[in-house]
Amino acid sequence: MLIVNNLVKKFNTTLAVNNISLKVRPGKIFGLLGPNGAGKTTTIRTILNIIKPTSGEIIFDGNPITYEYYNIIGYLPEERGLYKRSKVIDVLIYFGVLKNLNVRDAINFADYWLKKLNILEYRDKRIEQLSKGNQQKIQLIAAIIHNPSLLILDEPFTGFDPINQQEVKDLILSFVSEGKTIILSTHQMELAEKLCEDILLIDNGSAVTSGNLTDIKKNFGGNNIRVGLAGRLISQNQFPEIVKIDNYNNYSDIQLRDEIVPSEFLKKLIGKIEVNHFSIIEPTLNKIFIDLIKKNSNNI
Amino acid sequence: MKKILAVAKWEYLEKVKTKAFIISLIITPIIIIIFSVLPSLLFRQEAPKVELIGVIDTSGVYFNDLVKEMDNYKLENEQKNYLLINFSFDNKNFEELLITANKNIEKNLIEGCLILYHAGNDSVSAEYRSKSLGNFKNVERLEEAIRSIKLKMKLEREGVDTRLISYFKERVVVKQTQVDEEGKVSEGDFITTFFISIIFILLLMMMVVYTGQMLVRSMIEEKSSRLIEMLISSITPDELLTGKIIGLSLLGLTQIFIWSVIGISLVAGAIIPLAAFNNIVPMLFYFILGFLFYSSLFVGIGSTVNTEQEAQQITTYLSLILMLPIVMAIPAIQNPDFIVTKIFSYIPLTIPTVMILRLNIGNVSELEIFLTFAILIFSIFIVTKLSAKIFRIGILSYGNKPTLKEIFKWIKE
Repeated sequence: MLIVNNLVKKFNTTLAVNNISLKVRPGKIFGLLGPNGAGKTTTIRTILNIIKPTSGEIIFDGNPITYEYYNIIGYLPEERGLYKRSKVIDVLIYFGVLKNLNVRDAINFADYWLKKLNILEYRDKRIEQLSKGNQQKIQLIAAIIHNPSLLILDEPFTGFDPINQQEVKDLILSFVSEGKTIILSTHQMELAEKLCEDILLIDNGSAVTSGNLTDIKKNFGGNNIRVGLAGRLISQNQFPEIVKIDNYNNYSDIQLRDEIVPSEFLKKLIGKIEVNHFSIIEPTLNKIFIDLIKKNSNNI
Repeated sequence: MKKILAVAKWEYLEKVKTKAFIISLIITPIIIIIFSVLPSLLFRQEAPKVELIGVIDTSGVYFNDLVKEMDNYKLENEQKNYLLINFSFDNKNFEELLITANKNIEKNLIEGCLILYHAGNDSVSAEYRSKSLGNFKNVERLEEAIRSIKLKMKLEREGVDTRLISYFKERVVVKQTQVDEEGKVSEGDFITTFFISIIFILLLMMMVVYTGQMLVRSMIEEKSSRLIEMLISSITPDELLTGKIIGLSLLGLTQIFIWSVIGISLVAGAIIPLAAFNNIVPMLFYFILGFLFYSSLFVGIGSTVNTEQEAQQITTYLSLILMLPIVMAIPAIQNPDFIVTKIFSYIPLTIPTVMILRLNIGNVSELEIFLTFAILIFSIFIVTKLSAKIFRIGILSYGNKPTLKEIFKWIKE
């Protein structure tokens, strides 16, 4: 388990991370979410022990981070790139050895992962000869070659086609089942919603919301319905029950006032308009993200 | 330690294989050979052809004697080196003679033309016209001849014994020898020693520039791809820096080793005289220390750079500093105690090259060698420390190039 308590990082006068706490449980994926420049990278760098926090503590499996910590942590940075002119296997051995593997183990693990990700044929090619997607796979292998117990992945899915995305997703899920601690930082809310059990949403260096995703959704205010309307659209001022309405081509998403029972509203609606679809919806993480960040920036 | 070695090995192997390294390995010896063999070809051998020199001597007093004097210079095949032609035709005035001479020079019919003014008086003056101003050897010989004739004529006029005259005329040749530290006297071949030191300086400069550029380029690659973050989540920045410096130094030593082999074979082939390597031990020390100094400097500076252009600028400035001794060479040769040279031989940036130069032009005391070694080693230590501090922050700062003020802040942190 990784515990971060009251993390603060100041650069000169700017406060990059302001009092952030988080708890990552093993066997679960933790989503570190937030807009660009929110402080995600700084948070990750302090967890990685790349930069020293101004204050706060980082504890992994009961111990504060030390030098040994380097060997059990795996990190995939957001920007991708490798030593272009070097051979795939050489690069993987190098990163393996830097994680304290001996050369033989590094070769074995490299071969194992190359095979598992279906790119064993590129083993002795130079990196620049590989497609972009395959280069990213190599970098992913470089991040996990030493079988880390704490894995930090920054936007692991960008740049992959759907098939490769699925492969990477399966790989991450296999780590989850092995009980590893995983932090996922991403902008892809649909993926975060599917993969993460706990999240921390940060903006301007501070936590906006955190905790179990299901709880967050529940607390976000859930009186949302989706209706498909034949013919004309409805507007907010026709119905006092509606707080907010988003109209799309085929359907409309409607947020009702908290005290309104959705089925009662449906009855009222049917009396006036022809309805061909009705469902109760949870707020998507995407919606929570946008709404909370907007609210947060209005407050500032 | 294992990780440091891994970094060193990686940096070494990946760079040894690059084209840039292999090219530098080949190009540099070619430059050495050009620099060491060419001057000895140019300076030692007499031009193998007979040179035609026109003489305008309206008085007619000097011409015959000049021919006699210049006949003393022979080519290797015992032919005369100079053939003097009398341009003082009776039917033309002085101006016309000059024009004829100019035309002949222009058409390459004659090498040059000597014009004597006021010949016959005590105050004779002369002019040598030719296409190039650089022919010091001919001018020197003509001067010598004129002076000798002038002396002879004056003495004859004063009625001095002809035997005495030939005694006066006899030239004294000063042979140059050099005294080394052990008090032994050796016949110095000044030009070769001088060029050897210039070669060493050039070698050092090229090595620093090449390896420096390679290093900075790979750091830019690591920074722009954020590979650096994967690296320093595996290893501390200090370890990474140490590994890089070790790898780079090994790279430098490989280069020195290969060049030494080439150098030894050149000596063995008697292309470069062994005497030129009198100071080889301290020279090698300055060379290696200088390389280490600049490598550690480059690692620090390199970490602040984000683009190739910035890297190029920095390497250009540094190579200019390394070139400094070549600019100072002439005053330093004329006066080895020249104060500016002395000052530069105590500034870490210029110690290696200036001392390599000084070792070969004048004797440098053992104390000075000791002091400069100490300064250099001490500054390598300091620069590595500072570089480590800059490196730690520099590798994580992207975007704009940091200002000097910011870098200063990093050092203080």
